[in-house]
Amino acid sequence: MKRTFPLILLMLFGVFGILPSFLPHPVIQGADEFVRNDLLRIITAFALVLGLGSLLRLHFEKIKRHAENWPYSWILVITFFITSIIGLFGGISGHGILPTRIGSFPFDIQTLYLRIEVPLGATMFALLAFFMASASYRAFRARSTEATLLLSAAFVVMIGILPLGDRISHRLPAFAQWIMDLPLVAGQRGIGFGIALGGLATELKIILGIERSWLGGGE
Amino acid sequence: MKFIERLTAIDRRIIYLLLALVTILPMLFPIAQKVRVMSPVEKCFNALDTIRADKALIIDFDYTPQDMPELEPMGLAMLRHAFTRRIKVLVLCLYVQPLGLAQAALDQIVPEFNNRAQSNADSIIYGRDYVFLGWQPPPLIPILGMGESITNVFKRDYYGNQTDTLFLMKTIKNYGNVELLISLSAGSIPLSWVAYAQNRFGVKIATGCTSVSAGDFYPYLQSGQFSGLIVGMKGAAEYEELLARKLNFQTRRKAGESLSSITFAHLTIMLFIIIGNIGFFMKRRKK
Repeated sequence: MKRTFPLILLMLFGVFGILPSFLPHPVIQGADEFVRNDLLRIITAFALVLGLGSLLRLHFEKIKRHAENWPYSWILVITFFITSIIGLFGGISGHGILPTRIGSFPFDIQTLYLRIEVPLGATMFALLAFFMASASYRAFRARSTEATLLLSAAFVVMIGILPLGDRISHRLPAFAQWIMDLPLVAGQRGIGFGIALGGLATELKIILGIERSWLGGGE
Repeated sequence: MKFIERLTAIDRRIIYLLLALVTILPMLFPIAQKVRVMSPVEKCFNALDTIRADKALIIDFDYTPQDMPELEPMGLAMLRHAFTRRIKVLVLCLYVQPLGLAQAALDQIVPEFNNRAQSNADSIIYGRDYVFLGWQPPPLIPILGMGESITNVFKRDYYGNQTDTLFLMKTIKNYGNVELLISLSAGSIPLSWVAYAQNRFGVKIATGCTSVSAGDFYPYLQSGQFSGLIVGMKGAAEYEELLARKLNFQTRRKAGESLSSITFAHLTIMLFIIIGNIGFFMKRRKK
């Protein structure tokens, strides 16, 4: 039963997910609207609570066992509670019941987001440019005809999309755009078809209960 | 160490330092760059520019702080464009993280217009000219649900107002009242808009994406499923150029200002690739 019930549920909802796209009958459409607008929201709310609970449990456990890097878990737990309290009671821009300003120092959720999360996130991503430069210098080699073609196309597109490309030749940006419009699209479309067909086959296998690895248990 | 070996083994700290210099210096001493507008951006501009008075534009702000430098200038330019043309705008997010950035974009653009406004009619007023719908998880709910009723999906806006009491929402009921939806995202969300909102409800979709994810979207532009495509900071600079050229909108161009940095950073990376390859070929010949 532990394995059969989830399989039946998945099969029912899997088939039901496909039906509204093909059957315009009001009963099917109404049921589809109920599933999407009501049921899915309730499930999402539970998933959110479950996810947050699981995250906290994991980090409390790490702190308790003094597992590797456990002091970082304190940072997560403390920032989680601080931002949750400010977000829940301080309002979006500090208009809630909780005061979110000491003198000229605001700490409402929008300020925290813009002053802490935005610079941290942007810094992490900005570092990629340095790693990319170093990695492309070490790894991007014209070892074969295919690699040389790829390298040449990359150079044309890189120069072509920059304002410099237009200064070198008026035709260069158009050529770069042509590479993006035709060879790139042809390749992407082929890959896309492959992924779509593979995805369809896997989905059918899951809905029909042939593929059961998602149930876990190592069977 | 021999010269050939040096060519293939430049210390990564030198690469980092040079890249930092070529990125920072052009920001301090900008060089004017001529921007040539390419057709995918022009298509997007025209799609927004021709929205009829009784229809609305939805902008899906789905970029995070990581992709903000590339996508935020697009969002700002589109808001400026829409408000200049007095197009009704609905702003929403499909994930929680971009909410603060969408709010920041509105906080910047709305006062720009209101400081110049001379009357109530000139002003950009919340609920009349634009609505910030906020966020509803999971993404499938708003994407499909808005085809039936926007106020049913977003019962309250980002600020907690009941959406069906807002003036704008009395005329904008569902996708039938929306002429264009623009998704600004670094991920695959624009494809979900095409798969669900466009296929089922026929809404026109355009997108702004990061340079690295552009390859995934070109097939959809070619097939006409995207009404326009803006790629990376260069695409945003092109949109800013069109705003200045066609609507005479003179303001600070965030993307345009960064083009010098991008140009020199790209050239530096290309230079290092060439040096690496010269070293590689010399080494191979020697063997």
